[in-house]
Amino acid sequence: MTTAKRDLHSVFNRRAILISGGAMTMMGAIVTRLAYLQAENLVTDTYTDEARDNRFDQRIIAPPRGVLYDRFGETLAVTSPDYRVTLIPEQVGRKNLEKIIGEIGAILAMPQDAIARKVREANAAKQSDVVIVRQGLRWDEFSAINVRLPELPGVRAESALVRRYPQDIAFAHPIGYVQKPNQREIDAVIAAGDERRAVYLRNPDVRVGKSGLEAHLEDAIHGEAGWRMVEVNAAGRVVNEFGGETRDPKPGRGVVLTIDAECQRAAMERMAGLSGACVVMDVVTGDVITMASSPGFNPNEFVNGISTVRFKELNDDPYKPLFHKAVTGAYSPGSTFKICTGIAALDAGVPTNFRVHCSGYFPFGGRNFHCWKREGHGTVDLHDAMKGSCDVYFYQAALRAGQQRLADTARLLGLGVRYDIGVPSVTPGVVPDEAWWKSKRRDPMPAGIVLNTAIGQGDLLASPLQLAVMMARVANGGLAVTPRLVHEGPGVAPPPTPRQLPINLEASKVVLNGCFGVASEPGGTSYRSTGNLGLWYDPATNAVVEAPTPPPGHLQVQMGGKTGTAQVRVITAAERARGVKSNNQLEWRLRDHALYVCYGPVHKPRYACAVVVEHGGSDEVRFPGTPGYIGGGSAAAAPIAADVMRLVLKKDPSNRQAASVRTLEARNEPAARRPA
Amino acid sequence: MTMMSSAGRPRGVGDKLSRLNWTIITLLCALAVTGVIMHFSVAEGSWAGRPLAHGSRFAFVLAAVIAIALFDARVWLAIAYPVYFGTLALLVGVEFFGETRMGATRWLDLGPLSLQPSEIMKIGIVLALARYFQNLDPRHAGTLLWSIPPLLMIVAPVTLVMKQPDLGTALMILMAGVGIMFLAGLRWRYIIPAAGAAVGGAIAAYFFVLHQYQRDRINTFINPEADPLGTGYHVAQSKIAIGSAGLFGKGYLQGSQSQLDFLPEKHTDFIFTMIGEEFGLVGAIAVLAMYFALFLLTMAVSMRARTMFGRLAAAGIAVTLGLYVIINTSMVIGLMPVVGIPLPLISFGGTAMLTLMAGYAIVLSIDLHRDQAATRGLLW
Repeated sequence: MTTAKRDLHSVFNRRAILISGGAMTMMGAIVTRLAYLQAENLVTDTYTDEARDNRFDQRIIAPPRGVLYDRFGETLAVTSPDYRVTLIPEQVGRKNLEKIIGEIGAILAMPQDAIARKVREANAAKQSDVVIVRQGLRWDEFSAINVRLPELPGVRAESALVRRYPQDIAFAHPIGYVQKPNQREIDAVIAAGDERRAVYLRNPDVRVGKSGLEAHLEDAIHGEAGWRMVEVNAAGRVVNEFGGETRDPKPGRGVVLTIDAECQRAAMERMAGLSGACVVMDVVTGDVITMASSPGFNPNEFVNGISTVRFKELNDDPYKPLFHKAVTGAYSPGSTFKICTGIAALDAGVPTNFRVHCSGYFPFGGRNFHCWKREGHGTVDLHDAMKGSCDVYFYQAALRAGQQRLADTARLLGLGVRYDIGVPSVTPGVVPDEAWWKSKRRDPMPAGIVLNTAIGQGDLLASPLQLAVMMARVANGGLAVTPRLVHEGPGVAPPPTPRQLPINLEASKVVLNGCFGVASEPGGTSYRSTGNLGLWYDPATNAVVEAPTPPPGHLQVQMGGKTGTAQVRVITAAERARGVKSNNQLEWRLRDHALYVCYGPVHKPRYACAVVVEHGGSDEVRFPGTPGYIGGGSAAAAPIAADVMRLVLKKDPSNRQAASVRTLEARNEPAARRPA
Repeated sequence: MTMMSSAGRPRGVGDKLSRLNWTIITLLCALAVTGVIMHFSVAEGSWAGRPLAHGSRFAFVLAAVIAIALFDARVWLAIAYPVYFGTLALLVGVEFFGETRMGATRWLDLGPLSLQPSEIMKIGIVLALARYFQNLDPRHAGTLLWSIPPLLMIVAPVTLVMKQPDLGTALMILMAGVGIMFLAGLRWRYIIPAAGAAVGGAIAAYFFVLHQYQRDRINTFINPEADPLGTGYHVAQSKIAIGSAGLFGKGYLQGSQSQLDFLPEKHTDFIFTMIGEEFGLVGAIAVLAMYFALFLLTMAVSMRARTMFGRLAAAGIAVTLGLYVIINTSMVIGLMPVVGIPLPLISFGGTAMLTLMAGYAIVLSIDLHRDQAATRGLLW
């Protein structure tokens, strides 16, 4: 063994140098690796890109949606900053949530149950979610929170964009509402490959139109999103809001509607507690002045997400507040359709002096078709038949016109057609004729159907909007006006001059005269409510004043109209036996609908109006002889029409200068530029 | 042993002070100052907290180290076994009474003092092995039979530390111990088969001994992109930081990866990444160069020492330093699995600083007293 001879110090030195060499090799490897990472980056920019992607995040800045204005510039829908107090559970700390929310609640004087609800909500939220503790803060509340912020870790007082509907329920149906886009919509956009739009839709401030004009005008008014590059930390939280590249959002364009907010509100108020609709239309331009559906709902409830309980409540309400009755509701027009039957008959060659004896019923096809007036109207001409709403006259007239002519005239007058006015679920209604029958049934169309159609019953269905169009096209002398809701907005052209309809002008004058009888002659079915509006006009200037008695030199402002009652259900023999004699004794949902269509002023027709009161009843009509009966549908619907028309005729919105988006935006400009 | 040179036997404190290895002390200071500078950046430009704590802690420890180094070097020889076996006892204590933090039982709670015996063992193993070979008959050095006691002295603490579990520290103790055995003259004819067995053993250990989290670390090391948000996240972010830094870095306090918290553990294990990001390739190499210089200087001390104990102890400390630096930097740049070894003197944390500075108290002392005979009889 040479062990003893080994010089351990030399061995040590050799091996120490070996180890140092090894260490140096390792160092070399490390330096090479460092250099390699950077060289790799020089070539591919991988790490630079990743570092930048890490560091900057593009934050979408939601654009304010275009403002919706009424005809005269009243704000109907506006996107404005909302002051709110929010918190992030992670930053507050789970165990502090209750205490912190309690303190916020104390500052804002929130009720105990609201505080408890927020605590539950915050506990259920994801750690990094933003929980809105309270929104819609007043400035003083917002300031109070701001002052206390240092003591409230994780709590933020901020302003965000919120869509507001200052008119509350009055415009819920025509305007609709916006909501957060749901996952389905976002998925659809992603499936279509529009990544940018998907990012936009995911922004918490973004809302999209879900119904009404808000939905229809979405693309025109949503504006253009801006963005801001913000510096974020690893947790995704913004560490530096400013200094990054920024593009300001472009606000959406404003839109002026044809509706007059004052008239709209009046109609909604007048129908409070009733289920129904009221449409007022300019017979020359087609501008919809009022489009009210009652009961309304508050669209503001939907903007930040409505609770399922509340939604169910609205959805299950028997008065159907979410249902846009003015355009979606399809009703039997009842006797209001006699306007159409009259024109069709005269068109078919029935002479204007055609007379019929009404003995209360009309035998046809082996059964008796009754007039609503059991004792009969006696001998009546068209004028009398309109005025007293004699069914027998119109049975006879319709038989001479025939079902096809009735249907054709109905279509000319605007029934059976879907109007694209920018709200969803517009019903085309139903105008039954041979072709329609064949598409539905196999058996031949019975001859008696024409008698049902004559008085607006049976399969015939029309929306209040269509009835207003019908009235308008007769009142304007047969011009094919179509309704429109947007007065000025992106892509909206002024209404085209309506074409002349191929209807007998003479006939329409006679029918209009009948309508005049209904509304303005003693004995007319709606005379009580429409005979004297208390409005007077100066023939020289057409200026209208409201007064109990006519001022000197003034003439009465008068209307023409037609009442209607749409049978929902015939009282059965069994019910009659139980003593149910009157329609009003039936359950509410089984009572008849009350309708009224009218136009005015008679001396220079400008507005047409249609009112439907669902299940408005018709006691007096069905059982005449009861004291104070006033005729079909008129008890419930005509007074509403009279009140709304009184306001419309007095104000005459069509002859006033409408607002323009340009001047309105100029007015708003300084406010919009002010930093939030 | 003659003392002819001017570097003769030191006398007074002043003389001793002047003959301390100031180059090593300067390098230690430079590294600690680098630490302070980086902690200032971690704190986003604030002195409060870590930068101040790091600096003051170092200053205090350095003063103690210099004071201790001035004492006779033979004290280390005397305490080598007591330190080793005392620490071994503490490691057993940890096994039974240890405090569990972050899933690992490494701490022993001794009243006001919270102790990590595995850290002391990094020095303990060096002292004990140096002590063993100091007294070993040169004829026995490197033979199989006489290699068994040191091997057991290594295996015992390594096993205990592995059980905590702390793979990084176990690895460091093992490698420092093996390194000392190698320097002490272990025969190549044993080294080569042992190395082969170690590789086989490592593969077996992967499957039968390692914990799942340790296996995960190795797996993600082999394929870090497979799990970029899990265990691979640290390294992926670290590579982004260094790769995007450029030659001179993004500038002090400007490292976006570090400043925006994409880089985790940047004040401890991943501080080298921050150096790389803010000071670039040049900065990283400068820091590595300082460490390497320190390593070489320490190795030089070991080669200058005249006793086997002095040589092996100093070389052991050098190896320990090298292991710290190589393991730490390799893991942050993706050359090695993440094992949780800090960058000594720069990473925040008292234990690693204390361990290494204790080592340098020994190195400085050995260097200062290199001409002393290291026998027990001469102690005091």
